[in-house]
Amino acid sequence: MTDMPFLHRRALLLGGTVLAAASAPGVRALAQQAGGQIRRIVLLSAAQASDPQEFQAAQLVAQAWRQLGLDVEVRGLPRPQLSDIVWRSRDRWDTTMWRMVGRPERSDPDELVYNLFHSSTRDTGFNFVGYLNPQYDAVAEAQRRELDQARRRALINEAQQIVMRDNPYFFLVYPQNVVAFNSRVIRRETVVDQAGIGQRNFWTFNGAEPAGQQRDLICNAAEALNAINPLYISGAIDSWVTDLVWDRLMRVGPDGLPRPWSAESVTYVNPTTLDVKMRAGLKWHDGRPVTLDDVIFSFQAPAGGKSPMYRPFVINIANMEKIGDDTVRFTLREASASFLTATLAKINLIPKHVWEPVLARLEGTPQNAESYQEPQPIGSGPWKVTRFRLQEEVLLEKVADHFAAPKFDRWILRVVTNTEASLGMLRRGEINFLSDYRGDPALLQQLARQVPGIEVAAATDMGFRFVAPNLRRPPFDDPEFRRALMTAINRNLMVQAAWNGFAVPANSHVSAALTAWHLPEQHRANIQQARQILEAAGYRVVNNRLHYPAGRQETLQPLQ
Amino acid sequence: MRYLASRLLQMLLVLWVVATLLFLMFRLMPADPTSAFIDPTFTMEQQEQMRAAFGLDKPLWQQYLIYFANLARGEFGQSFFQQRPVLEILLSALPNTLVLTVSALLLAYLFGVLAGAWLAWKRGSRVEAAAVPAVLTVRAAPEFWLGMILLAVFGFGLGWFPSGGANSAGARFDSELARILSLDFLAHMALPCLTLALYLQGLPLLLMRSTMLEVMQEDYVTMARMKGLPESRIVLRHAARNALLPVVTAFALGLGATVGGNVVVESVFSWPGLGRVLVTAVAASDYPLAQGAFLLITVVLVVMNFIADLLYSVLDPRVTHGARG
Repeated sequence: MTDMPFLHRRALLLGGTVLAAASAPGVRALAQQAGGQIRRIVLLSAAQASDPQEFQAAQLVAQAWRQLGLDVEVRGLPRPQLSDIVWRSRDRWDTTMWRMVGRPERSDPDELVYNLFHSSTRDTGFNFVGYLNPQYDAVAEAQRRELDQARRRALINEAQQIVMRDNPYFFLVYPQNVVAFNSRVIRRETVVDQAGIGQRNFWTFNGAEPAGQQRDLICNAAEALNAINPLYISGAIDSWVTDLVWDRLMRVGPDGLPRPWSAESVTYVNPTTLDVKMRAGLKWHDGRPVTLDDVIFSFQAPAGGKSPMYRPFVINIANMEKIGDDTVRFTLREASASFLTATLAKINLIPKHVWEPVLARLEGTPQNAESYQEPQPIGSGPWKVTRFRLQEEVLLEKVADHFAAPKFDRWILRVVTNTEASLGMLRRGEINFLSDYRGDPALLQQLARQVPGIEVAAATDMGFRFVAPNLRRPPFDDPEFRRALMTAINRNLMVQAAWNGFAVPANSHVSAALTAWHLPEQHRANIQQARQILEAAGYRVVNNRLHYPAGRQETLQPLQ
Repeated sequence: MRYLASRLLQMLLVLWVVATLLFLMFRLMPADPTSAFIDPTFTMEQQEQMRAAFGLDKPLWQQYLIYFANLARGEFGQSFFQQRPVLEILLSALPNTLVLTVSALLLAYLFGVLAGAWLAWKRGSRVEAAAVPAVLTVRAAPEFWLGMILLAVFGFGLGWFPSGGANSAGARFDSELARILSLDFLAHMALPCLTLALYLQGLPLLLMRSTMLEVMQEDYVTMARMKGLPESRIVLRHAARNALLPVVTAFALGLGATVGGNVVVESVFSWPGLGRVLVTAVAASDYPLAQGAFLLITVVLVVMNFIADLLYSVLDPRVTHGARG
């Protein structure tokens, strides 16, 4: 018995040697056609503990690429370290898992279409992959100037086609936002699905109607808030509150398009001039009227440098002036198709009598408006702040005389850090809208089957997950190499294995959730086809390792 | 007096070392501390302005001097994300942590002392044989597991207690004191307090039991028995009283240690305390806040250690004499 394994092993070794000898001339010939061996590729990812889905997706990508002959190492890093390398050391890394998150202002595709791939953002901005294509630049610039919807759609489509051809990103999925609510408390028909955002949105929070006696809409957040400040983009959860407390001239509607809100109408006089007519009777939460001076101040304040996060949204405004008693005329430096969404629907209207003295005090100090927390925040939105403890709870009460007064009396946001506890709270009625769920969606569906009244809703996000190759570093500078790598990735497998089915395969930087702008594409993973693309581009596999085309040598080192 | 001064000096030395380690630790971490919150759309000028606002544009030694000058004035810096003074954030979370910690400790020590004395009295019995492994098992169980079991049974299952937070949604109170003394607050604190108490009871119980066993061999206990005093009086009046000494000092140390050790319990029960602030700060790479939270926990621990030393020297003068010798 004990001799048998030795016999087997010896036979195998002998067989292997014979085979190797027989194939040696073939290997030598192949090696002569090939260039240098491609270095080990490091695929960066968030650490498994902080983002298990991303890490799992990275493993699947690495697995696919290894089948092409690449030596791939998945390296999980803490987010700050990952960000530091990707943003600040743009020549050092090869590939990284990355994500773009959905925000209401991204309902207009301009921010992603322009910032992600335009050459002007290549050195320090969002174009961290280093994509450089004058044809793309021209299209990205044209779409932002084009005010005609149909012509702009054609340009956005063209931009997507270029990206699908050049593969500066390897798109993976558009994740789905999953929420749950108690339909015995909240009328199902009044829960709104906002394009690219899902059911947890301003329109639901403001327009949801009680189904019974309960007059409190109680939501949850899985992490503490940072601030409630109209001049500080302090976090996604914080923005749920600022959306409700501070009104804007326009709001992004459930259809993803901007619509007048505090403004009665917005009219283009010419491509760089527009008149905003205000609604009558608007009031701040302290009872004072909203004036045209307040409106102008709201757009001037971020421009002054004391609100760095809002500043980019107002720099295109050249001038503002009052026209009559109820209209403000905006003059822009250049025509902008996204101005309504990215500026008028983004900038919070703030009371001049509150913020002017604050900004004056901050002048000449290193602090900015982000460091000021109003003891009693004052906005003009449909909800007013009653009380807030950022680690614990935010309590808002409806403004009964608001032009869009909420149907519930109170909106309460509870900070619940334990995912299982948030499920228990929904079951017991301690919350009635599970607005922030970071656990397994299957558990939520199970809960909905067990508890009458609990309903689960999922909606595709306008954000997306992808693998970013560094186009500054060979072989990622070769579009054919990138096309092969993209072809090898099975996005359907990614949806099932990494996102448990709560995502849809992604193909473009304009999410499938933005139906008005998205360009669909049939995509099918095919390792064999990927190998053929590489072969046709001159890449060769020698001894199971992928080599550059003949004449090219490896000059770079893997990221240390 | 000399003993007091020496202990005070040692305390300050420990605080200085910890503060220095914290300063270096956060600055030597591989990523730029601002990378998590500086948006790539910011211009280089804006990025530099923000780095300057946090003092990160200065050489390390200058940052160190500024850091200590600020600490001496009681300033812990400004949170990256909340953009508020770190001390203000920490002090707003501290009361919840202290109330939870002190309640759990009192519960644990009350139970531990009584049960420990009783088990010592029952030395060699079946009760003792069963109780000691049970106590060790509960003590060894991970806090989050214990918490989740209690939550599943008494929160989700029986519905006796709320599932998280410190108050019911939208509850209103006239003052902070009224909030803490309300039945609503106590109901919310029950499960986290019980979890922490179960976790903490092992030490006082086993400590009390072992010192009781020692004390019960002392001559004065034998004398009391010879005098014919009732067993309960011997245990409570003579033995337990003297066996309490190490338990009292362990209580003070325990208070210091558990203020920082509440991270798990506070996260499981969504309890808005210092531990949660620490977790949030570390997860978001909010270094000034994390640094401040660690430092505050260290201060509480070191001060409680100091108080324990003082208590010991008061309760047992030999400690002070030993220092002189």
